[in-house]
Amino acid sequence: MSKVSVIGAGNVGATAVYYIAEKNIADIVMVDVVPGLPQSKALDFLHAAPTRGYNVNIVGTNDYSEIADSDVVVITAGIARKPGMDRMDLLKTNVSIAKSASQAIAEYAPDAVVIAVTNPLDVISMVALRETGFALKKVIGMAGVLDATRYRYFIAEELDVLPSDVKAMVLGGHGDTMVPLPRYTSVGGFPLTELMDEATIEEIVERTRKGGAEIVGYLKTGSAYYAPGASVAKMVEAIVKDEKRVLAASAFLRGEYGHKDIFLGVPVLLGKNGVEKIIELDLNEKERKELVNSAAAVRKGVETLESIYTPG
Amino acid sequence: MTEIGIIGSGNVGANIAFFIAEKGVADVCLYDIKDGVPQGKSLDMMEAAPIRRYGTKIRGTDSFDEVKSADIVIITAGSVRSPGMKRADVFEKNRALISELAASFKGSRSTVILVTEPVDLLTTLFVQESGMDVNRVMGLGGYLDSTRLRYLLARELGISPESVDATVIGRHSDDMIPLPAYCSVAGVPVENLIDAERLETIFAETRGAGALIVDMAQRASAYYGPSAVAAELAEAIRKDLKRTIPVSIMFTGQYGIEGAAMSLPAVIGSGGVVKVLEPELTDEQKNKLTESGEAVRRIVGGAS
Repeated sequence: MSKVSVIGAGNVGATAVYYIAEKNIADIVMVDVVPGLPQSKALDFLHAAPTRGYNVNIVGTNDYSEIADSDVVVITAGIARKPGMDRMDLLKTNVSIAKSASQAIAEYAPDAVVIAVTNPLDVISMVALRETGFALKKVIGMAGVLDATRYRYFIAEELDVLPSDVKAMVLGGHGDTMVPLPRYTSVGGFPLTELMDEATIEEIVERTRKGGAEIVGYLKTGSAYYAPGASVAKMVEAIVKDEKRVLAASAFLRGEYGHKDIFLGVPVLLGKNGVEKIIELDLNEKERKELVNSAAAVRKGVETLESIYTPG
Repeated sequence: MTEIGIIGSGNVGANIAFFIAEKGVADVCLYDIKDGVPQGKSLDMMEAAPIRRYGTKIRGTDSFDEVKSADIVIITAGSVRSPGMKRADVFEKNRALISELAASFKGSRSTVILVTEPVDLLTTLFVQESGMDVNRVMGLGGYLDSTRLRYLLARELGISPESVDATVIGRHSDDMIPLPAYCSVAGVPVENLIDAERLETIFAETRGAGALIVDMAQRASAYYGPSAVAAELAEAIRKDLKRTIPVSIMFTGQYGIEGAAMSLPAVIGSGGVVKVLEPELTDEQKNKLTESGEAVRRIVGGAS
């Protein structure tokens, strides 16, 4: 049995664990600093096992050493965004949390593929890469799958079709500058551009960019976790089962799409080694410009990171 | 699709909607007095639909009339237990809320599932004050206890939890009554597989299972286990599956008891309880059930 560890037992972490359990693909360890929290959630999941039919082991712990020899480790720990709070405001707190998590991963699970979920995700991925010292392909950020699932749902709602029949690609950083690609969006094989007028597509693209904030606006004291949890599980499954699945994810670029030395959302081939390939799509001028804009926003986040960063 | 309405969008309510969506049972309408919460959680779940491949719709509403007119209404609103608190302590907290809800269900043709604790007391109260047909109102008690027992038996035997059947009747409290003669693994009675002393230990662990989660989590009680079984119950009703499930129902003379709701295995199908089953009880079990029934009647009646 493969082993997956999830660091952070808040709503996103716990929901990701639940989705991974439902797929019966790995034993799971859930780590959190709060005493009792991961333990209670693990037990609750196990109580649901007879009803839901999964049979994987789920352990809740406050001890990092239990992540030993994980195939995949997901970092969800961090504070969540409050209404009106920009993602960058979270930076300081979440960087320090990500640092200690990454150091623990390097120590106990040196062969793991790391998925960073904590926001600001494109920056936290950088922290994970540095602190683990892992190969570039072993560290990935979760964003594109989430942005794409929101975009897909909005399209399905508009067209009144089954949400999973909509296929789409979203590039760029996980923020207001993300780049949904209507040209690479299809419904049952039909290009979106044949099914929807430009103005409606543009509205949906805008809504997608603000998708996370829309949920925060409703909940007021919390942020999304179902769609993020499902997105994490999708990536974990692709890695654990070595599916070689094409998904949008934040990967470290070395010149792809004309960008380098930052994590940016691009289509990747996910398999047991992590990012097995970065796929370069043909972009038109508008798309390329939007991606440059998005990369600039991520780079700004990285600059802020450098200003507060103390290695080790 | 036939609609399921959920009153209360906390962890339990929202996760019931989530499990119903995952199972593709029916469209769900989620309600809460905190406006925004059902809408936000519904949207989040719908945004997972492309990945999870469900076609069911979940929507949040701020209209109570809308949620209560659903074919199946699941009540999860109310306070939950804090550490050290007994289920009965929560009764006084939730009594007024459930009374008020029951009044609005007078003459309703919905099927109602109560999840709010303490479930047997509140199911009793709800039936009395709504005047609804006893077969259309049930509480989630024995089903959750049975599921926890199934998990513990499976763990003991090192087998898949799905292969274990278990029956727990009576109150959803420390007085719950596990029936070893009605617990089996692929049809083999567990009494043949686990010795009596060990079984007693497992039963004790089942009794404490809910409290253990409250104590561990400190500020929250269990919600995945309860939500998963509530969704299962809603599915049995919606699809007329005629599944045998222990639920809390108003006794109307079973074992000589009436006027109190407690769990018994029942056949669940369209409209709710299709048939109540009466397992053979030992004298000790029967006495315990009678005492529990008296306690339920006393607590619900006494405080009014």
